[in-house]
Amino acid sequence: MSRGSVDLSVTIGSLQLPYPTLMASGCYGSGEEFEPFVDLAQIGAVVLKSVTRAPRLGNPMPRLVATPAGMLNAIGLQNPGIDWYLEHEVAKFAKRPSAVIGSVAAFSVDDYAYVTERLAARDEIAAIELNISCPNVASEGETFACDPDLTAKVVRAVRGVTGKTLIVKLSPNVTDLAAIAASAEAAGADALAVINTLRGMSIDVNAWKPRLGNVTGGLSGPAIRPVAVLAVYEAARAVAIPIIGQGGIETISDALEFFLAGASAIAIGTANFTDPRIPVRIVDELRDYLTARGHSSLSEIVGKANVGFATPFQYEGGEG
Amino acid sequence: MPNGPSVRDVRVLDRTELAPGVVLLGFYAPELVAVTRPGQFVMAIPPSGERAATALAIYEAQGERASLLFFICGARTRELAELRTGDTLSITGPLGNGFDVNGARNVAIVAGGVGIASVLLPAQMLIEQGARVRLFYGARSENFLVDRERFERAGCELCCATDDGSFGHAGFITELLAAAEDKPDLIIACGPSPMLRATAFVASELGVRAQLSLEETFACGVGGCWGCVVPLDRKSSQAPRFPAPANGGDFVYARVCKEGPVFWAHELRW
Repeated sequence: MSRGSVDLSVTIGSLQLPYPTLMASGCYGSGEEFEPFVDLAQIGAVVLKSVTRAPRLGNPMPRLVATPAGMLNAIGLQNPGIDWYLEHEVAKFAKRPSAVIGSVAAFSVDDYAYVTERLAARDEIAAIELNISCPNVASEGETFACDPDLTAKVVRAVRGVTGKTLIVKLSPNVTDLAAIAASAEAAGADALAVINTLRGMSIDVNAWKPRLGNVTGGLSGPAIRPVAVLAVYEAARAVAIPIIGQGGIETISDALEFFLAGASAIAIGTANFTDPRIPVRIVDELRDYLTARGHSSLSEIVGKANVGFATPFQYEGGEG
Repeated sequence: MPNGPSVRDVRVLDRTELAPGVVLLGFYAPELVAVTRPGQFVMAIPPSGERAATALAIYEAQGERASLLFFICGARTRELAELRTGDTLSITGPLGNGFDVNGARNVAIVAGGVGIASVLLPAQMLIEQGARVRLFYGARSENFLVDRERFERAGCELCCATDDGSFGHAGFITELLAAAEDKPDLIIACGPSPMLRATAFVASELGVRAQLSLEETFACGVGGCWGCVVPLDRKSSQAPRFPAPANGGDFVYARVCKEGPVFWAHELRW
């Protein structure tokens, strides 16, 4: 097997990507911010910052706190609203060397459908990610991702307004992620993004007050990786649609955990802040890894960590 | 040679501890030097250990050598401080917008503590332009007034203040600024937030325009995450790119890493 012939492409709904690496929403701006530092032609897709129906100021500062092996953020979906976004932002995505995926956030089913319909109508937008799991908007945003019925309701509504690939981003802050994954699939999702950040909090013990202006935030980075790998594993057992694994991926080893757990693609977020070259490095090393093991395509290893679980009752638990 | 910011691995040339916990780290980076403007910063990534970048002002940029001057305040700066000659680190930059000093003839530079790291390059540029430059430099004690001889050699007039009175004026450096007889036509400043706020107040009282280099916690450093925002006055600032939310009030959030780190004082909402 020659290194160059390894197939790293991935199909997500009707979206064909040459590389299985997406840049996670909220971490990569609109992509142009990182263009000086990385060849965007060598990444799979950029998921844009979430856009809402009306402009949002976002949360008060401070919005970031460094934590052990990760960070807390509480940006609060700062964005200019869909009208301004369509008028001023979207046209420039046409020239991007990588696919551009729009991200939609809202606070009602109608608004999800409204923003999605308008955004997805633009040719520059290759697919839509539904952000039903933002932890930083006073819990409103997570409501949809925390209830299988609400998840289904919003996915059905959005499915009705666009034929483009629909990725539903799930929250880890739930009791039964598999049920919500299945619900999203049944309602028409083409793929799942697993996971969004975990809710967290940090307190300044000198000032006796929360470190974030929003009090709580979303935890990302390597600290959440084991949680994310498990979530991907659970979702992969519950659905047949592709899963985009995300949560603390920094190295090829991290990425492989997600593929083996059942992810068809990965999204990289916080690691871009450490070194913008990481996504391209992971693709290079993924090619080497597959070549060395005699695989001709990435798809050959997706979900293969399941093979070892011959005794599911051990995983399911039981008494104690 | 690249004509803009990039990410590159650079080799450490020298390391000096200027005061307890205050480190000057020089490294070989001619491409960075070639495109650096006064007041810009880099995201510095240590070769191992805690994997996150630290935003640091570019202190020197001359020939093939650039340097960072920083205070050890956590695991990442400690790791950077432990680098030795020949070690490598990754540098993303230069980033952000720097000081706008064109045309200024009489400039007061206000630096508090390690805020001195942002003002050597603008001081050098101003002096090359023929401007009169006074450095108002405050720190907690004399030994933390680091590298002031360099500023004197460059041609700056120095006014110093220390919290403990061990050198210069005993008290705040902004008290010296307010008391200065010759009114500058521009003030530039970098230091702790209370000092910047006081500088903005003094500048307003004097009727002098002031540029302040802000410090915030950065995640991406390039404008992608919107984590490092500060509120700007909607009416007087250049920054509002977005329409106002219905409940947005009279300010807008701007990114310190992208629209800053240098802002005009009259644009900032404290």
